[in-house]
Amino acid sequence: MTLWFVFALMTAGAAFAVLWPLGRSSKRRISGGSETTVYRDQLAEVGRDAAAGLIGEPEAAAARVEIGRRLLEAADAESHQPRESKLWLRRAVAVIALVGIPLLALVVYLPLGSPQLPDFPLAARIQTADASQSLGTLVAQVESHLEKNPADGRGWTVLAPVLAKLGRFDAAARAYRNVITYEGETAQRRSDLGTAIAGAANGIVTAEAKKEFERALALNPREAKARFFLGMAAQQDGRTAEAVTIWKALLADAPADAEWRATVQEALAQVGDGAPRPTDEAVAAASDMKEADRSAMIHRMVDRLAARLKQDGNDVEGWLRLARAYMVLNQPEKSRAVRDDARRALGQNEAGLRQLNEGFKALGIDG
Amino acid sequence: MTRKQRRLTMIVGSLVVLGIAAGLVLNALRDSIVFFSTPMMVSEKHIQPGQRFRLGGLVQTGSLVRGENLAVTFKVSDGSATLPVAYTGILPDLFREGQGVVAEGALDSSGVFQADTVLAKHDETYMPKEVADALKKQGHWKDDYGARAGAVEASGKQEVSQ
Amino acid sequence: MIAEAGHFALVLALGLALIQSVVPIIGARLHDGALMNVARSTALAQLLFVGASFFALATLYVVSDFSVVNVFQNSHSLKPLIYKITGVWGNHEGSMLLWVTILALFGGLVAAFGNNLPLTLRAHVLAVQGWIATAFYLFILLTSNPFMRIANPPMEGRDLNPVLQDIGLAVHPPMLYLGYVGFSIAFSFAVAALIEGRIDAAWARWVRPWTLVAWIFLTLGIAMGSYWAYYELGWGGWWFWDPVENASLMPWLAGTALLHSSVVMEKRNALRVWTILLAILTFSLSLLGTFLVRSGVLTSVHAFATDPTRGVFILLILCTFIGGSLTLYVWRASALKQGGLFAPISREGALVLNNLFLTTACATVFIGTLYPLALEVITGNRISVGAPFFNLTFAPLFVPLLIAVPFGPLLAWKRGDLLGASQRLVAAGVASAIAVAVLWAWTRGGSTFAPLAIGLAVFVIVGALCDLAERINLFRASLPVSFRRAKGLPRSAWGTVFAHAGLGVALIGIVCETTWNTEYITSMKTNDVAQVGGYSLTFEGTTQQQRSNYREDIARFTVSRNGQPIAVMTPSKRNFTTRAASTTEAALLTRGVSQLYISLGDASADGSIAVRIYHKPMVLLIWFGPVLMAFGGVLSLSDRRLRVGAPKPAKAGRVLQPAE
Repeated sequence: MTLWFVFALMTAGAAFAVLWPLGRSSKRRISGGSETTVYRDQLAEVGRDAAAGLIGEPEAAAARVEIGRRLLEAADAESHQPRESKLWLRRAVAVIALVGIPLLALVVYLPLGSPQLPDFPLAARIQTADASQSLGTLVAQVESHLEKNPADGRGWTVLAPVLAKLGRFDAAARAYRNVITYEGETAQRRSDLGTAIAGAANGIVTAEAKKEFERALALNPREAKARFFLGMAAQQDGRTAEAVTIWKALLADAPADAEWRATVQEALAQVGDGAPRPTDEAVAAASDMKEADRSAMIHRMVDRLAARLKQDGNDVEGWLRLARAYMVLNQPEKSRAVRDDARRALGQNEAGLRQLNEGFKALGIDG
Repeated sequence: MTRKQRRLTMIVGSLVVLGIAAGLVLNALRDSIVFFSTPMMVSEKHIQPGQRFRLGGLVQTGSLVRGENLAVTFKVSDGSATLPVAYTGILPDLFREGQGVVAEGALDSSGVFQADTVLAKHDETYMPKEVADALKKQGHWKDDYGARAGAVEASGKQEVSQ
Repeated sequence: MIAEAGHFALVLALGLALIQSVVPIIGARLHDGALMNVARSTALAQLLFVGASFFALATLYVVSDFSVVNVFQNSHSLKPLIYKITGVWGNHEGSMLLWVTILALFGGLVAAFGNNLPLTLRAHVLAVQGWIATAFYLFILLTSNPFMRIANPPMEGRDLNPVLQDIGLAVHPPMLYLGYVGFSIAFSFAVAALIEGRIDAAWARWVRPWTLVAWIFLTLGIAMGSYWAYYELGWGGWWFWDPVENASLMPWLAGTALLHSSVVMEKRNALRVWTILLAILTFSLSLLGTFLVRSGVLTSVHAFATDPTRGVFILLILCTFIGGSLTLYVWRASALKQGGLFAPISREGALVLNNLFLTTACATVFIGTLYPLALEVITGNRISVGAPFFNLTFAPLFVPLLIAVPFGPLLAWKRGDLLGASQRLVAAGVASAIAVAVLWAWTRGGSTFAPLAIGLAVFVIVGALCDLAERINLFRASLPVSFRRAKGLPRSAWGTVFAHAGLGVALIGIVCETTWNTEYITSMKTNDVAQVGGYSLTFEGTTQQQRSNYREDIARFTVSRNGQPIAVMTPSKRNFTTRAASTTEAALLTRGVSQLYISLGDASADGSIAVRIYHKPMVLLIWFGPVLMAFGGVLSLSDRRLRVGAPKPAKAGRVLQPAE
């Protein structure tokens, strides 16, 4: 309520600024400066310069004549100005000020502003946050603590897995790096870092992530997570056979009660480990076979992305990547379908929708 | 002199100065312009050794080798082709493997790009304009670079060399 | 509430600007004083509201209200207070708000102190300011609104860009904007004159103080930006001819030309049509400068294209104001009366020459800056136009200009005496010849160009002093008489001397720095000694320190000369852990006007560190020159002639006799 009161006060101030001169001077003649003042001053200046000897007398005389001519001209022009004032016009302006300014202000402000939102100064928020420690505020507090004390390795150790769980993989990767810097490296930490990097790349085991996993294995050849992801890397690179070998070895080493057994088995099932492996000769025989293989792999990745987006539709980048992939695969009609799905999934997320539309425009899928 | 003559003098004088300026500009445009190329354009266009140009692309991961006396070599790639680059001096703060880079110099007879300047920009996520455009054309563009580059322009002065 | 109130204040300012754009013009048509005076109160109210809006945004930054998108994206709760405040204009939206705030400030100043202007002229000027303001309010509100909110604000802001946390960079944009936007007043005066169809010598006098103010700030802003680049970027360069710098140089060149041509107009009522055109061009270049930086066109043509609303809006504003004013110019300028007559050899003639060279130089910069953009749009070829282009075009045009500079003030109005002026410059010529000869002998075998350039600079400086000596009759009259005359000299004459001498000073700095600058790049181990520019620098090792949000590796060098230790220099490298970014902090040692400059490179595995050491002779003169020029501008501004204040009784002129 106070806010609207302040708005009203401000609007009144603005309207008053317009009304004030209108009401004030209908009787009094309003004075302004004039050119004659300037020329008189110039004459005085010529006199001063001549007196000081800065210019010679003939030049001064010539200057005086010239300025005098301008002075006469200016005085002439000024006396010719008729003055009139139309009362109705002033009234019209007054009405515009009184009605137009508030109207315009509301028309422009209401669609843009958020009058329902209170202020959120940080200091006040941190105080109230103590009462209801949500995970988000806790993380923020730890982060700001670490920003000040970046060498606090234990802090990073606590924070890193939380960040990874929250899906902030970039931040998690940075946190794990700091853990390694300040607390020393272990196989576990290296492979956690690798997982975070892979997470940031939407589950693709990038070269960077792979390096971390390899490092972890160098530290501890039995590190299960690293082995699993290296298998994943092989599978993503299209070396399915190698992936199967790695995972099978992993299962063989795994304790019977390990929780992650199921995950590995599932991965194995997905690549269909029962299928007969193409012999090396067959691969070497047909180079175009390799091409087909690759395209099959691309299709698999695209399908996986599509499946993920069906579950979590809030990833604008993901939608765009999917649409782009279909364009590359020469399936523009699928791209268009992706666009419709994405719009549905994003629903209320306006910023996301805007980004999406721009992205699609860039792809050449308009409207 | 009459008014007409005076005016003529002024006009002729102005034209002379403008003519000289135009000559200078044309001359300078012919001699001192540096073209921009990516490694692929270099291989396609067969740029002569010794001709100066700007090379842009991504620093290939793992290609940076530091030698004696601040000599460094690295490879610049645009996704389709790579070109070895040699440089002696201090690399800018933001030079990093996997990041965009622009180097100015010329090819030597063995096909190595001898750079005398390496340009980097303010923000660590910033992609030099030419590189971004070139990569975009070839489809190696990550969209978020664009968004971040946009945020950087706020720095007020973004085109700063080396 | 602060955010919403600031937002609303901005909207109200838009409403006021709209009224200010229309009502005063109607008033001027009908000679209705009250309607014309609406311009004044709305301009002042606009200043109040925009000022409140800007203050609101600054407050939001200070209290770290991350419910405001702009604050969330560009601030961080841990920034030091000063950088929270300067962060307000460290981004697009905030800087546009600063732009309109300064625009409103200038409008408010004209409204408050423009008592000496005729009513109709003031009404027209403020109305044109209202047009500009309206366009920019709409641009901000519709495409770059800094008051957008987030319903569920995050706990921490995004940005803590280390490079931007520097006081030099923080102060530099407001200075530049004061310059850019200051020229809007000259523009408004020009358009007002075209609307009224009447222009004369008095106009020039009214415009002059505003142009001077803008010019002073722009001069300082450019110099400050250059010095910032020099010490912050770590490789000792101070001018790169990059588009962002050129964008500020172009209005400066045009503005300098405008300052000089308005003198001719004021004194001789000549060059009127040209002066109007210059006023329009100067502000057009300022607009272009603002947008070259703001639109993202320079970052990438694609960045411009991916944000079509903003880009199109920007183009629209540029077309409307530049195209509109030039159309108005073509349409109305022929109606303006011809000006006075003068001979080619005269003060006017010299000023025309000045204008000719300044505008031509400006045009070459314009071509060099925009040609690559145009070429890319048309042919798709990407080229870079760098320093060589500008050295080949800009420099040759500046040489004749500099030669002419000392002659100008010595020539009389209307018809001058070139021979007489030359005789009075004999001292300058001799001094310059001696300088060339001495330098030539001293640097035998070195550059032949540098001694000549320094000779030219000496000629400009001593020439300016000759002009002064001439005016106060130095050596011809007794010293007390000369002193009295010096005191009686108009401040603007002093201003000329300082500004022209500043030009020479800056030239000396530029030539010395570029010719005799020593660069030494090496990799050093502890206790290694480097010899640079007659100094020995011993590397004593590095220490590491943990600061609030970064880790700093500080290297220690002891500097000695002829075996005598002089100072300790500590360049450093900062690593911002959480942002995974690093910055280089150069160490500077000032000796007289020369500097030693050390910046660090990477440390290698064997414990040695890459080091870049420069000895930069006379380098400080590069920035001292512009400061002198700006000081000359301030002197000129304080001249009594520009302070013709409120309307006075008719005899006021005569009462104002010299008090000296």
